[in-house]
Amino acid sequence: MPLWFARGLRRGIVTAHYPARPDDSSASLPTPPAFRPAALNRQVAGRLCAACPNGALRRENDVLIFDVGACTACGRCADAAPEAVVPSGQFELATTARSALIKRIPLAGEAAGE
Amino acid sequence: MTPLLLAYGAAGGWGLAALIAVAAGHTRWGMRACCVPSALGGAAAAAGGAWALVSGNTHVVTLGGSAASGSVVGGPLQLQLTSLAGVFVALLGVVAVAIALYAPRYHEPGRGTGLYLAAYNLALLACLAVLAAGGMVTFLVAWGSMSLLCYLLILRHPGRPGVARGAFWFLALSEIGFVLIVAAFVILSAKTHVTEFGAMAARAHLVPGGWRDAAYLLALTGFGFKAGLVPLHVWLPEAHPVAPADGSAFLSGVVVKIGIYGIALFAFRLLPGGGGWEGLLTMGAGAVTAAIGILYALGERDIKRFLAYSTIENIGIIVTAFGAAMVFHAYRQPALWAFLLLAGLYHVANHGCYKTLLFLEAGVVERTTGTRDMDRLGGLIHRLPRSAVIAFAGTLGIAALPPLNGFVSEWLIFQGLFQGFRTGSDLIAILIVVAAATLGLTSGLAIYAFVRGFGIPFLGMPRTRRAASAREAGQPVAGPGLLALACVALAVGAPVVLAALSRAVRTVTGVGLGRLLLPGNLTVIPAHANFSAFSPTYLAVFLVAACAVPLLIYLAGRPRAASTSVPVWDGGIVSFKPRMQYSAMTFSAPTRVTFDALYRPSVSVDRASDDPAGRSGPVHYESQVTPVFERYLYRPVIRAVEWLADVIRPLQSGDVNLYLFYVFAVVLLAYVLGAV
Amino acid sequence: MTLNGKEVPADGPGPASSAEDGLTPASGTGEVARELRQRIAGQFGRSLHIRTLDTGSCAVCEQEIRLLAAPHYDLHRLGFFFTPAPRHADLLLVTGPMIRAMDVAVHKTYQAMPGPKVVVATGACALGGIYPQDPFVHGDAGKVLPVDVWIPGCPPSPLALLHGLLVAVGRLAEKTPGLTFLADGEAR
Repeated sequence: MPLWFARGLRRGIVTAHYPARPDDSSASLPTPPAFRPAALNRQVAGRLCAACPNGALRRENDVLIFDVGACTACGRCADAAPEAVVPSGQFELATTARSALIKRIPLAGEAAGE
Repeated sequence: MTPLLLAYGAAGGWGLAALIAVAAGHTRWGMRACCVPSALGGAAAAAGGAWALVSGNTHVVTLGGSAASGSVVGGPLQLQLTSLAGVFVALLGVVAVAIALYAPRYHEPGRGTGLYLAAYNLALLACLAVLAAGGMVTFLVAWGSMSLLCYLLILRHPGRPGVARGAFWFLALSEIGFVLIVAAFVILSAKTHVTEFGAMAARAHLVPGGWRDAAYLLALTGFGFKAGLVPLHVWLPEAHPVAPADGSAFLSGVVVKIGIYGIALFAFRLLPGGGGWEGLLTMGAGAVTAAIGILYALGERDIKRFLAYSTIENIGIIVTAFGAAMVFHAYRQPALWAFLLLAGLYHVANHGCYKTLLFLEAGVVERTTGTRDMDRLGGLIHRLPRSAVIAFAGTLGIAALPPLNGFVSEWLIFQGLFQGFRTGSDLIAILIVVAAATLGLTSGLAIYAFVRGFGIPFLGMPRTRRAASAREAGQPVAGPGLLALACVALAVGAPVVLAALSRAVRTVTGVGLGRLLLPGNLTVIPAHANFSAFSPTYLAVFLVAACAVPLLIYLAGRPRAASTSVPVWDGGIVSFKPRMQYSAMTFSAPTRVTFDALYRPSVSVDRASDDPAGRSGPVHYESQVTPVFERYLYRPVIRAVEWLADVIRPLQSGDVNLYLFYVFAVVLLAYVLGAV
Repeated sequence: MTLNGKEVPADGPGPASSAEDGLTPASGTGEVARELRQRIAGQFGRSLHIRTLDTGSCAVCEQEIRLLAAPHYDLHRLGFFFTPAPRHADLLLVTGPMIRAMDVAVHKTYQAMPGPKVVVATGACALGGIYPQDPFVHGDAGKVLPVDVWIPGCPPSPLALLHGLLVAVGRLAEKTPGLTFLADGEAR
């Protein structure tokens, strides 16, 4: 009992102070992807949509539609096209409108028509 | 004009009712016509009893034959309405009125109904005669008639299962008790040479010590058979379920109280001033009776058997109070002697009211649902709202919850028992405290039992279709409602009632409690200032206010917007089945586990297959409580009697020559004895 | 437009605001939204009782929810509490894809909660992402309940859940409408 108490005092308070201060563990959380529109063309978009197992990515004409609500942060889109996808680092994603979670990413112009 | 005249009026009313019943009781208008003089007789009896309470003993009236003048066999009829009997007569009257209001709607007109109502009214008459008896012969004749007439009451439907058995147990135990009572009275009258009670009481000192003890023991046992002291109680759970509801109400409400009256007669009038051991024995018998009564009540599914055991419990409480009173008298505490007698009599009146009410309501439940089994009922508060409210009033009373009358009388009894230290003897004080602790256990179990007794049939959801289809139209409400009002009146008007009872107790014991009981301001104190105090009237007012104030605040401040009502939260279960509720036996299972040394339950489980999960076929589960008293007390006695009968049987051989020899031998013996 | 095979109106599926008691935070701008947020913060901001409801999830969301009560994240310091009784609950936290077998239970639980009440759907299943076409589920919590706040994630980390709960009680503003998920310098 005294050992446990002493150890706890040494460790200090481990409770997070969120939202007053950001939490250390938030840096390593898996998060939904962010896209580089410059690197996105129809071919890349096709690869991304095929890679997503949850149907969070769809292409409509020249827009990549990304449903953040369906994303599980599995990272397969980043594996399929690492030049176009980076982790967004966003985890504070709660919203009152479901439509706010559906993002439209414009595709760049290059190999349009493929 | 004396109270005895009102008793005559009551007797006349009941006799007339019996005649009408015999003549026309098999028709509906005949039943109604019979109940009118019955009710009027009841009112007269109630008035006469209440008057006798406050006015003291009437003179002895001897009807027919020569006046009692010291001969052993006195005049044929000696009547006296004493203060002690006044409580019981008043209770008899109130119960008679309630049952008279109840009976026409309860009974089906038919062949047996007229005879039944005649027997009932004659039983009322016999009870009145027992209570108004001024002498031994009147008492015994009335007692015997009362037993026989109650036997006829129980036999209303002789063809139904259990009726003959229940009635037989009642009659057999009544007659055994009767023999013991006769023996007790014979001892007393032989030693005092009179048969009139007042004279007997005056000459009680003439009875030598050993005979005195024997007479008291015989009286306690003999009256205990009728009152229902353990182990003499066995007829109660057998007879009550099979008698018609108003018959059971009469038995529990009045007839067992006549047994109590007999004990009180011996303990406080005919043989007062005994040694402490008589009081301790009585107190111990009462405490054991109370505890065992309520423990068995918790194991019953049949509503009427449950109420019968609850009657045994309350009889135990009353007898404990009387026993403790006798102990205090032996240890020179006259105030507590009178106080506990008063508390016991008050509990007699209270129990008479609410137990009768509960039996009448049990009759309504049985009539509307067709069953007495609690586990087949449920949700009756929605189907029978008025009966449920009245039954709830009776349940509050019998569970001794404030502000009703049961609470007041149990408070008085407990306060009397808590003053055991005033006897001055440590051993006696400890014994009295043990009795109080037993009564405390009993009271707690009684609340538990009546939560079960009211909650399982009336609350929750109906467990069977019969319970779901009960209808209240046409069921009697006036009779039980009158008793519910009486319960409330006895509680709120407790100071008045206690003042009347204290005058009666002064007549019996010679001790006037006066300000030691009622110091004024509607407060009651237990025979000593500075011990405790309590006001039933103010408590009732306070409780009503305490419930009303939040209600008023809610009504005034609740939001104006319409509110929705949604079903009870049941955990989100898709279909809630009534069988998911508590059953009567599972609710009381903790008691059966704790007290299994008393119950000795036997459980048998039969499976259709050996599959431990019981997947193929039904499982039959049976749990039984061992009938301890029948098996270990009565059956050996019955076997001994049968053995004795077998031994004697050769005497009755059927051979005429042997019978002639008997005649010859007896005549020879008579000559020899005459010559000596 | 179609999303994941279902037809949806242009500004998103689900009711824009559950208007039963008028107390749900609208995602719009302006005076109305601010007043609503203040009312909600006043009612629930310092003491909120949460009832979790699993409508067929894989239980990983439940594990993250359990971590909220653990010492590291400790939702009690924010005035939030878990309660099993919907009668005592202010907020219904729904996980799972709304299997049809739970219809009665979900309906009864929602009915048993006294108003004002808030419904929060969390996890990709409840947001209609994982099982949109499965015949045994509704797929989207918004089809069964009037959802006020959506918390994405699979599973949502405890921090994301805390953020979502604080948004639900109006103590934090939501960020998602302003996010574009575009790398290259803009607000991600």
